[in-house]
Amino acid sequence: MISAPVLEFATVGLGLLLLLIEAFATTLPRRTIAFAGILGLLAVFVATFFVATPPPNGGFWNFYTADPLALFFKRFAIITTILVLLMMIDYAPVVRAFVHGATTEAGVGEFYALPIFTCAGLMWMASAIDFIMIFVSLELVTVSFYVLVGFMRRNAASLEAGVKYLILSAVSTGFLVYGITWIFGVTGETNLARVASAVIAGVDRGPALFGMALVLVALGFKIAAVPFQIWVPDVYQGAPTPVTAFLSVGSKAAGFVVLLRVLAPFFMLPEVQRLLVGIAVLTLIYGNLAALPQNNLKRLLAYSSIAHAGYLLIGVVAFAGNAIAFYLVAYLLMTILSFAVLVVVSQTGGDSIENFDGLSRRSPFLAFAMLIAMASLAGVPFTAGFFGKFFVFDAAIRQHHIALAAIGVITVACGFYYYFKVVRAMYWEAPVANTAIPVSALTRVAMVALMIAIVVLGVYPTPVLNALR
Amino acid sequence: MNPDPYLFLIIFVGVALVFPLAPLALAWLWRRFFQPPKPGQDKNATYECGVEATGEAQVQFRSQYYLYAIIFLIFDVEAIFLVPFAVAFTRLPVGAFIAILVFLLLLIEGLIWAWGKGCLNWAR
Repeated sequence: MISAPVLEFATVGLGLLLLLIEAFATTLPRRTIAFAGILGLLAVFVATFFVATPPPNGGFWNFYTADPLALFFKRFAIITTILVLLMMIDYAPVVRAFVHGATTEAGVGEFYALPIFTCAGLMWMASAIDFIMIFVSLELVTVSFYVLVGFMRRNAASLEAGVKYLILSAVSTGFLVYGITWIFGVTGETNLARVASAVIAGVDRGPALFGMALVLVALGFKIAAVPFQIWVPDVYQGAPTPVTAFLSVGSKAAGFVVLLRVLAPFFMLPEVQRLLVGIAVLTLIYGNLAALPQNNLKRLLAYSSIAHAGYLLIGVVAFAGNAIAFYLVAYLLMTILSFAVLVVVSQTGGDSIENFDGLSRRSPFLAFAMLIAMASLAGVPFTAGFFGKFFVFDAAIRQHHIALAAIGVITVACGFYYYFKVVRAMYWEAPVANTAIPVSALTRVAMVALMIAIVVLGVYPTPVLNALR
Repeated sequence: MNPDPYLFLIIFVGVALVFPLAPLALAWLWRRFFQPPKPGQDKNATYECGVEATGEAQVQFRSQYYLYAIIFLIFDVEAIFLVPFAVAFTRLPVGAFIAILVFLLLLIEGLIWAWGKGCLNWAR
């Protein structure tokens, strides 16, 4: 049995070790660093199953918790990072082309090491139950993303994405801190549980709600909710593809965990409920409608990520932790799978949907993987995506948010159109080239595992649903 | 009648305005009435603490300087944490000592990494 914080320390230690190896073992193939990272993270993943129950309270445990929700999202963060690292190995040639250095492999080592720090930040964020802790771990995640998004520094699109992300993210951080000061000013506490009891005991509602609204702005930025979504399409398109996947899964999941924790004290206030319903409706409609005309798959997935934030927000409005957790797991599987296919295919052409024309004849395996991912993103039955949406709508109807659920169901129909645009290109269009697309064995194994997980969770969702109990 | 408790603030603001403005106004008046109008190269030169001004004011820093600035900043912030630690050192438990050691170790690791990556070499 180990104490929970050891997991994060091990992750940070792993990242530091890899950076040092990267700096001094110059002859080592960079790929080894990625494999070492994956193995290290697997060890941490196994260790999450041997975490001792934390002491009730006091000292450090006022900032940090190891409840089932925290452990669940720690595992979630680790799995995401491992899959992103696998994707990065495939993506390394592209990065190398845009990073200037003395050797051919210069700069790729940091590309493999930085996600591990992000992972540590995500893990801390899952455990944070104090505004200070939330802020610090959020910064650890964001700062490492600043570097990753603008990593291909000879590529104008990546640099542009990096600058946009840096500036807008810094502004949203400002909102977060300002909101925290208002909440602290009213309640005199930063610990979420004590903030909750102060709110119940009765505080000045106005300033508390104002602070909460500012915190919502910052978290809305992280989860890509309308009207804080402006950065999403450009940053997602410009960033290196594995980083885009990481942003859209890791950053979003962490945002939702924090949202669930932060909202708990304020949830009984009707104003917060109404605000959330408004944001959810806007996000659903905007994300799905704006995705319709997209021709670039990365951009399409960016808008789809906004749309999925909308479905997740329905879960937040219903305050259904289990439904959100299941949705996030399904979202992890299908998003990573579609980005993994995109990484392989885009190296033979580009990110456009046209580059997927006739993929079924060039590589039936990749086309089938993409089919599963798109079907699950759209919410076809017998895929994980279907149950994700089902549980969220179910929770909303139970809480009598019928209108919200209805808007959700209507926008799902919208989603079918743009996801199946990709499928149509793969199976019904003439191929752009006749060359087969090579897929490395490791990627193939990861993709098969993701496909199996999507289908299995689409038939038997109970294990993930029970994970939080 | 008691004076308003904020009255002294207003007086301070007044004094704060008058104190720097008065010499400026006096200097301006002196120039207006007594200065002989004889401009020259030395007279029009920028005043830099009595040292003769050399070169342009718009100097361009080399971008390598940026790396040093960042590394310096990090270790500067480290000092801010170390000073209170050193002051309270004798009264601290073992845990605090280990915590600060971990903190130092992280920064030193960063320095070693920057060194290994050649960030400390000027000619690049």
